[in-house]
Amino acid sequence: MNPVLKTEGLTKHFGGVKALDQLDLTVRQGAIQSIIGPNGAGKTTLFNVISNVIPPTVGEVFFNGENITRMQTHTIAAMGLTRTFQNLRLFSEMTVLENVMVGMHLRSKGGFFTSALKLPWVFREEQRIRGESREWLRFVGLHDHTDQIAGSLPFGNQKSLELARALASKPKLLMLDEPAAGLNMRETQDMVQLISQIRDLDITVLLVEHDMDLVMEVSDHVVVLDQGRKIAEGDPETVRKDEVVLKAYLGEE
Amino acid sequence: MRALSIMRTPYSGFVLFSILLLLLPFTVANDYYFNVLIIIGINSIIVIGLDLLVGYTGQISLGHAAFYGLGAYITGILSARWAWPPIAGLLVALVIVGILAFLIGIPTLKLHGHYLAMATLGLGIIVFILFQELNFLTGGPSGLVGIAPMSLFGFTFDSDLSYYYLVCVFLLATLLLSINVVRSRVGRALRAIHGSEIAASVLGVNVSRFKVGIFVLSTLYAVTAGWLYAHYIAFLSPSSFGFMFSIKLITMVVIGSLGSLWGAIFGAALLTSLPEFLVVFEHYETSVFGLILILVMIFMPRGLLRGLEDLVRKLISMLRKDLKERSLTS
Amino acid sequence: MWGPDTGPPRHEYNNMTFEQQILQYLITGVTVGSIYALIGMGFNIIYNATEIINFAQGEFVMLGGLLTVSGMQLLHLPVPFAAILAIIGVSIVGIALDRAAIRPLKDASPITLIIITIGASIFIRGVASLIWGKEPYLIPAFSGEEPIPFFGAVIQPQSLWVMGVALIVVLSLRQFFGRTLTGKAMLATAVQPRAAKLVGIDASYMVLLSFALSGAVGAAAGIVIGPISMVQYDMGVMLGLKGFCAAIIGGIGHPWGVVFGGITLGIVESLGAGLISSGYKDAIAFVILLLMLFFRPQGVLGKSKGDRV
Ligand SMILES: Nc1ncnc2c1ncn2[C@@H]1O[C@H](COP(=O)(O)OP(=O)(O)OP(=O)(O)O)[C@@H](O)[C@H]1O
Ligand SMILES: [Mg+2]
Repeated sequence: MNPVLKTEGLTKHFGGVKALDQLDLTVRQGAIQSIIGPNGAGKTTLFNVISNVIPPTVGEVFFNGENITRMQTHTIAAMGLTRTFQNLRLFSEMTVLENVMVGMHLRSKGGFFTSALKLPWVFREEQRIRGESREWLRFVGLHDHTDQIAGSLPFGNQKSLELARALASKPKLLMLDEPAAGLNMRETQDMVQLISQIRDLDITVLLVEHDMDLVMEVSDHVVVLDQGRKIAEGDPETVRKDEVVLKAYLGEE
Repeated sequence: MRALSIMRTPYSGFVLFSILLLLLPFTVANDYYFNVLIIIGINSIIVIGLDLLVGYTGQISLGHAAFYGLGAYITGILSARWAWPPIAGLLVALVIVGILAFLIGIPTLKLHGHYLAMATLGLGIIVFILFQELNFLTGGPSGLVGIAPMSLFGFTFDSDLSYYYLVCVFLLATLLLSINVVRSRVGRALRAIHGSEIAASVLGVNVSRFKVGIFVLSTLYAVTAGWLYAHYIAFLSPSSFGFMFSIKLITMVVIGSLGSLWGAIFGAALLTSLPEFLVVFEHYETSVFGLILILVMIFMPRGLLRGLEDLVRKLISMLRKDLKERSLTS
Repeated sequence: MWGPDTGPPRHEYNNMTFEQQILQYLITGVTVGSIYALIGMGFNIIYNATEIINFAQGEFVMLGGLLTVSGMQLLHLPVPFAAILAIIGVSIVGIALDRAAIRPLKDASPITLIIITIGASIFIRGVASLIWGKEPYLIPAFSGEEPIPFFGAVIQPQSLWVMGVALIVVLSLRQFFGRTLTGKAMLATAVQPRAAKLVGIDASYMVLLSFALSGAVGAAAGIVIGPISMVQYDMGVMLGLKGFCAAIIGGIGHPWGVVFGGITLGIVESLGAGLISSGYKDAIAFVILLLMLFFRPQGVLGKSKGDRV
């Protein structure tokens, strides 16, 4: 099957630090693929470079066969690639519902002029956005919090909200940066549930996560990064037993 | 409390506000107060636009007096030198400044924080210097005279009362358009940009397009206000459009609560009328403005209006508790 | 609008050859540029410690000048003592600014900090206009007003004072940040606030110190230009902005950049005013400022640094 995402020789230097080093990566359509690696391995940097939040030093990124390396973040998003953030980036002054409604930005059209005049179709569109956003909140279990200010939610709920917001854009590829970090055991279980359900929505998932149990449970394929390089990959079982991987993790302790 | 929460649902608030504006003249005894009301209205139009930019989108501008001035000077010059009808002057000014703001906005709004502040401030000063130095057009420091009174579609607005209603029509129109924008996909995108540009762009918001868009819109409001001002005062001098006025505009936004359209009007009304009513203000004006800015930022960072609202709410809940306790003990 | 003008009276230019005129403009430019550099350094000191652009920087300059005037007129002090008193006074104002307006707002957004320092600058200016009125004052030249001939142009003795003081301040700041423990600690606080805390540096004290130091440098600028141009309650606005412009040209936070930036700005301004039109002199600085911000915000000498995501 065609890869959804492919990187070729992707490299990112921060001064002397090689956060990514000649990384070749492919993500298959419809899979849940995980990226693991010790702290500072370059996982978040990979997401940043793919979504072009920061430009790569060298290397190329292809999304559905198209070279997106030099495209702007919002254009990449419009092609169907979105993500969440390791350190939450909610619109914390807006309500929970409004956050998800921003997620539907790409799937609606109201502009300055038409919104200012509140044309009838803008009004209908607004109702559609509102309705569907509520459904996404229900999907992640936040339907009782719609009118709360996002910043006032407990941490676990904020994580779910960020997921709902990203889902509302109906991406083809969703990159999740440590969705379970900081969650308690029950919340982590819910998150596992959610991630498995996302696959049924025809959304490919690229997952960065430190929680090994979670990774082993949901992933079809695992890639291990260390110091910006791919040191192993394969199905969860193979990777778990890989000696190089063990060394990389133990070496860090 | 009731009144405040009614103001929350924008359209009923809007209707109430319109009725208030309609009835206000019957309570005004003297021409001088009309004068103040008209200037409040004009300032409110600018401040609403500035609030969309600063309060909602989080992009500061320390040069908005320049766009107000451009509106006033372009329409004033067309009227005074070439006897153009006011409405034609307005359209020309909107187009010129709109294009200018678009071209300047693209590089300027790439800047963030302090850099954006300094760039807009610099822009404002450059335009101010042009007002002063382009003598043959603007009349330089001694001013531009001979601007015709406002007349639209054969009606001349030569009384204070008629001008008041004219300003009200424009104020309400800007307010209504802004309420619609704020409560729309566009308004959400703007607030999202304020929250996190990166998160917004990851969700497909074209950040620079929306920033430039709201910047242009806010300058168009300022141009409209400048037009109303020019034909009302009939005399323009550069000093009305300098750095200090830009700061006053920002103060109005801040006082009135960043990101609240009602607050913007409240701030404009308060800071425009205060100097008119307090004679002491004359000497202390600048220092009082400065002090207000500092104190509001430290103690009521959500602005005076919301700060007061919070305070009232706190008091009420305290009173309630108090009453409950009393009824329990008795 | 206000701006220092250090050349000889206009009519004297008529007796000079074109080359001599250019030389004269250059001398003026370097003098004024040294002032801009001094003011820009004030910006840098606070920026380096806090990443705040202090919009009240120009007010430090104004206060330096006016306090010196008061020291001389009210206390009948000779210039050097009045100057030292003024420098101490403005440092205290800097400390007060940090204590009253900056420190209560830990982790505030840039917009909040901008508005606060603007508020402070307006407040200080307003108070100054109440104390000193709106009229201009003159500080007598430090060492006479006999112009020194220089290849057909002339140098005012005060110009030498200006350049000399700027040079001394630059060199001492270099010593301070490069050699002393406190100076190094201040830089460390800015670069690695958390690490600085771990090794026991008191960050909020360093911020306080930066405001005091910045106040002192600003005051020095205000004092040395006193004899060249009048000192007045509103002189800080333009000077502050141009000092900022100098810092931006050189790369904000960059120690040598600001000297380069200030002198470049001074020379361009002086040539522009002399050869093109003096009315647009102030606009030149802001056009340069905008061009720099649009095309090279890290400054001519600065290196761009990546945003942390
Ligand atoms: N903006 C930046 N500037 C400088 N260095 C950076 C930047 N972003 C990341 N780095 C460095 O790049 C390396 C990789 O960082 P990255 O955040 O990608 O790691 P990670 O795998 O996501 O780690 P973690 O598991 O802790 O989230 C680290 O050494 C980090 O310090
Ligand atoms: Mg990470």
